[in-house]
Amino acid sequence: MKQSRRTGSRILIALVFLFLYAPIALLIIFSFNEGDSSAVWRGFSLHWYQSMLRNRLIIESVYMTLLVSLLATLISTFAGTFAAIGLYSLPRRRRDVLLTVNNIPMMNADIVTGVSLCLFFVAFFQFWGGFARWLNGVQSAFVLPERLTLGFGTLLLAHIAFNIPYVILNVAPKLRQMDRNLMDAAQDLGCTWMQAFWKVMLPEIKPGIISGALIAFTMSIDDFVISYFTAGSSTSTLAMTIYGMTKRRVTPEINAVSTLLFLTVLILLVIVNVGEIRQERRRRNPSVRKEPFGERLRRFLSTRTGRYVQWGITAAAAICFVATVSFLTAETQSIPVVNVCSWGEYIDTDLIDRFEAETGIRVNYQTAESNETMYSLLKSGGADYDVIVPSDYMIAQLIEEGMLSELNYDNIPNFQLIDPRFRNLSYDPENKYTVPYTWSTLGVIYNPTMIDGPVTSWGALYDERNAGKVLLINNSRDAIGEALMYLGYSVNTTDENEIRAAYRILDEASKRGVFQGKVMDEVFQTMEGGNAAIASYYAGDYLSMLENNEDLRYVIPDEGANWFVDAMCVLKDAPHMREAEAWINFIASTDASLANMDYIGYASPNSEALEQYPAYYEELYGEPMDPELYDIMVTPPEVLERCEMYENTPPNVRALYNRLWIQLGI
Amino acid sequence: MSKELIRLQNLCMAYDGETILNNINLYINDKEFLTLLGPSGCGKTTTLRIIGGFTTPVSGDVFFDGVRINDVPPHKRQINTVFQKYALFPHLDVYENVAFGLRMQRRPEPGSKRGVKLSNEEIDRRVMEMLEAVSLKGFERRRVDALSGGQQQRVAIARALVNRPKVLLLDEPLGALDLKLRKDMQIELKRIQQQVGITFIYVTHDQEEALTMSDTIVIMDKGNIQQIGTPEDIYNEPKNAFVADFIGESNIIDGVMAQDRLVRMYGRQFPCLDGGFAENEPVDVVIRPEDIDIVPVEQGQLTGTVTNVTFKGMQYDIIVDFRGFKWLIQTTDHSPVGSKIGIKIDPDGIHVMKKSEYSGMFGDYSSFSDEYDELNGTDEAREEQSNET
Amino acid sequence: MKRKLSLLAAPYAVWLFLLVVIPILIMAVYAFTTSDSAATLENFMDMGIYASVFVRSFRLAAIATLICLLIGYPAAYFMAGEGPGFQRVALALIMLPMWMNFLLRTYSWMAILENNGLLNQLFQKIGLFSFLSGITGEEAQAFQMLRTPGAVTLGMVYNYLPFMILPIYSVILKLDSQLLEAARDLGANSVQVFWRVILPLSLPGVLSGVTMVFVPSVSTFAISRLLGGGTQMMLGDLIEQQFLGGAYNPHLGAAISMVMMVIVVLCMALMNHFGEGEEQAVML
Repeated sequence: MKQSRRTGSRILIALVFLFLYAPIALLIIFSFNEGDSSAVWRGFSLHWYQSMLRNRLIIESVYMTLLVSLLATLISTFAGTFAAIGLYSLPRRRRDVLLTVNNIPMMNADIVTGVSLCLFFVAFFQFWGGFARWLNGVQSAFVLPERLTLGFGTLLLAHIAFNIPYVILNVAPKLRQMDRNLMDAAQDLGCTWMQAFWKVMLPEIKPGIISGALIAFTMSIDDFVISYFTAGSSTSTLAMTIYGMTKRRVTPEINAVSTLLFLTVLILLVIVNVGEIRQERRRRNPSVRKEPFGERLRRFLSTRTGRYVQWGITAAAAICFVATVSFLTAETQSIPVVNVCSWGEYIDTDLIDRFEAETGIRVNYQTAESNETMYSLLKSGGADYDVIVPSDYMIAQLIEEGMLSELNYDNIPNFQLIDPRFRNLSYDPENKYTVPYTWSTLGVIYNPTMIDGPVTSWGALYDERNAGKVLLINNSRDAIGEALMYLGYSVNTTDENEIRAAYRILDEASKRGVFQGKVMDEVFQTMEGGNAAIASYYAGDYLSMLENNEDLRYVIPDEGANWFVDAMCVLKDAPHMREAEAWINFIASTDASLANMDYIGYASPNSEALEQYPAYYEELYGEPMDPELYDIMVTPPEVLERCEMYENTPPNVRALYNRLWIQLGI
Repeated sequence: MSKELIRLQNLCMAYDGETILNNINLYINDKEFLTLLGPSGCGKTTTLRIIGGFTTPVSGDVFFDGVRINDVPPHKRQINTVFQKYALFPHLDVYENVAFGLRMQRRPEPGSKRGVKLSNEEIDRRVMEMLEAVSLKGFERRRVDALSGGQQQRVAIARALVNRPKVLLLDEPLGALDLKLRKDMQIELKRIQQQVGITFIYVTHDQEEALTMSDTIVIMDKGNIQQIGTPEDIYNEPKNAFVADFIGESNIIDGVMAQDRLVRMYGRQFPCLDGGFAENEPVDVVIRPEDIDIVPVEQGQLTGTVTNVTFKGMQYDIIVDFRGFKWLIQTTDHSPVGSKIGIKIDPDGIHVMKKSEYSGMFGDYSSFSDEYDELNGTDEAREEQSNET
Repeated sequence: MKRKLSLLAAPYAVWLFLLVVIPILIMAVYAFTTSDSAATLENFMDMGIYASVFVRSFRLAAIATLICLLIGYPAAYFMAGEGPGFQRVALALIMLPMWMNFLLRTYSWMAILENNGLLNQLFQKIGLFSFLSGITGEEAQAFQMLRTPGAVTLGMVYNYLPFMILPIYSVILKLDSQLLEAARDLGANSVQVFWRVILPLSLPGVLSGVTMVFVPSVSTFAISRLLGGGTQMMLGDLIEQQFLGGAYNPHLGAAISMVMMVIVVLCMALMNHFGEGEEQAVML
């Protein structure tokens, strides 16, 4: 009976571990997959490890994660230990008050902590901006930076802020357990307070400090939410990078990184545990009296060589520190930089390297999820972009709100190559702010193997027969716009009844379970993998998907579609104006346009590029381009006539869109 | 023997508005064994901590060898302490605990500003010597939490004495030991004190411990010194009802001084040895239970009824009711419960005290058994500690 | 000396004020103002339409917490009964996944739960679908698992299970074995010992485990986004939408955060009222 219960309990524990480790094991196994799927095994290969090492985004974010976690752990362990000692010597009532406040970050949901810190930093930046402007105005001895943004500093502060409470929570019980007379005894025996602290208190509370540091480090490494709200756009931890990737295609390089991280931790853990076990054995068995390691180390350090070693270690630590600090400052100051924000899978990345090599300007290339997300980032002060690539209607809104700066077209000679069709469009009638980047259409992508008959209408998206197979585009303007087109209304209508009618179409379809999910760039993975049958997305992206799944079809529905222009513009007060214009000019060149067209599948507004592309394609792939695909990419004028461009809508309509959109999610 | 070593002058201490020490004046001689005795919360531990340098008095001065040492930190005082519950360093073994103070020491040396550390050989020699003195040889590498209470106690003493302090402070060092061990350690401590020939300042709430070991006893209550004297003085000539009750067993009876050497109780005159009171001054009269002789009723100065008898081995403790006031009498003769007895008290068995704030609070044995339990309370020490922090 | 030491607490008090109290105050200010910084209660009035999001979040989080408790308690209990070597390894194994970011672990589930994912492939292999279509007559090729409430709940359980096991384990481990012997001595059988002694005494661990699972579950947005595919909007998504998502309105976001914070604090206070003393329930 006893035996069987023991077996039963072991089975349960084994199951728990199976549950915990199966996904991790899969992650590791598929990091060796030849193919790029996480579900289909195509043979053993190490190439993801090789390409991981070349992926700047991943390497930088791993470095950032480790740097932030280690620094935050170090600082918060140090500060937390002393804070705990201080708290502990306070009168009880005051201590309890502080401890209650101390517990707030632990009790609060991460998102509340993250949001409140984000708001705090933004408020502080505003205050600081005013202060710096005033100070720079009244004196000229030094210049304070006027514009601060979320970044490494705020990320580190946030991590320290949520780590310290864990350190205190771990150190405090040890302090409480410690015989209060120990410190007195040490001083009684001739120690100064500092000596007593090092020789008596520290060894006593060391287990607490170590477990506190361990938990702080764990929390830092594991954190995503607080980082997400406080890191801004330019700093990215591994978690944020992964989150960004899950919206698109997660490269199996991520599997490789996680495998390496996991193995590192595993090895560390084994070393620590073996050490502990050995120590315990020695303790339990005092007859094998070996000099403890600490004792031997101390003796060694007091010898002459030992002292050199000590100096060496100190110097090395100092050098590391200086190097880190100077790296961080150099990063931000010495090299000319341009911060670019665009969309995912929206540039031939070789162009970035080419630009950097040609001009010596470093490109911080970041991506946002949608026009609305980017707008939020800009508004909340979380971004320090120079160049952004919003879509037409958003450009109009940004101009209206005075957030863009006028361009000096003398610095952008390649603007002359832009086809006149794409100049002076409604969003920027005098063309003072923008240089078009791409243009394309929003249509329906479907997989004919999964549904009956060809799709010719937006109605297919809402058809109950396709229940569970439709992906709704996850942005209010497009999703509601599609329904408006389906109903035959203008996508730019300001009539509340029409908009509400469009919403009802979506709402009913949603209630009937037509939509499998709401996606933006997740659409790539889902459609390519045959996990959904119908989605609405952009023509350019359809061409990318086609490379991975030949079944997919693209159609511009009979009701018409939306055509759009994404254009490069520069934010007001951008710190790198000159570099930004250099970048825009480079991207507008015919060479870059051709490369981009080929890579991302979106049509360029560059007239030379449009003309030369079929030849370019033939030269590159050794076969002529399928004219049908060319027509999807470069929409012919007669089809474009059926399409409508988004215009900026008044604020009350925007608010209505937002409200309805959230309501739909509910 | 009579050279003054420590002087406390007008010492006052308060914590959170509560007075803990109220104008303490005390001097302590070299090589003296002085005990601070009192119930929990009387301020004895605070006094000790002030001497050790762990607590700074609100006002008043501490002199050591004629020098004011109020601002000298503990590690610079030639005083060492054996702490309540010993405060041994759990992360160090026996040897390192004892060596701790020596490793801290620096011998002044010409040419070296901070002095030089003691050599490992010297430390080793002194530690081993000390361990031998407290019979702990062979225990050097034991973990301190693997030792028995008595062994820990001896490590604590060794750890303090190895530094050759001028004064050793002991804060209820025997509180955690069992009775038998405590008795042994009392003798051991006295022996060690005589052997090393330094001043011991000893804090306890156990009157028997104080009487056994001390040269001088200082009785404290509510932050005031109640009486200072040799054990004999304090036992035989208590200054007030508090002292009389705290030291040994006492019957304390209201009386009136008829004239010098004559006190009136229960309407009767008793000859005594005390004088110097005003005529008809109300006084407290102390009669020790062993100073009362039981005699046949007709020969007795007073007669009463036996209400309780307890066999104590050497003697019987009997409680006798004298017109509603119950006395404790210790006698070798057995008297059955309910019997009428007479008593007789010699003049030197009667001690007359002036009335004080403590009058009427002690000396009645009506709730006999309760009081006995209280006297042996061991939790008091801990309470006191927490009161003061 | 004492006084000097307490000075160490002063910088921390300032820090707490700056990075804990003030941010929350700022959040409160946002919640009660509009974008033209006029005072308003509108943000709270609007909240009614999000009631179903609140309900869904609290429901899913409660289910996840319950499942964690049902799995975690026995696991912790059995673990505490094993030998020290086993315990050490088990403890390390439970902590280990936390050193991989939870997004990595969640992402791994995506590949498992997809329609063409590993689990559905497995079902296909063992012929589950043909078996089912034989019974129901309907042709099925895959179970829709990703983008369902179940997937979100699974993600929560998976990510936060260690937070349930660890505190319960550490409390059970600290139980005085004499208490159990005393209970047996007084005539309790092992079931009674469990219900009447062990369970009540391990309540602080349960409470802190429940807190540590429930709070992050109710506010998650990454898990619901990854595994729920945008169909299972939770409070976290709602808040994120207002700050960094499509519907920029930090005032509303702050208001929702405030309401969530208050509800969570109330829940926790209520729970701690029943089992006072969360003090000793520290993770390690």
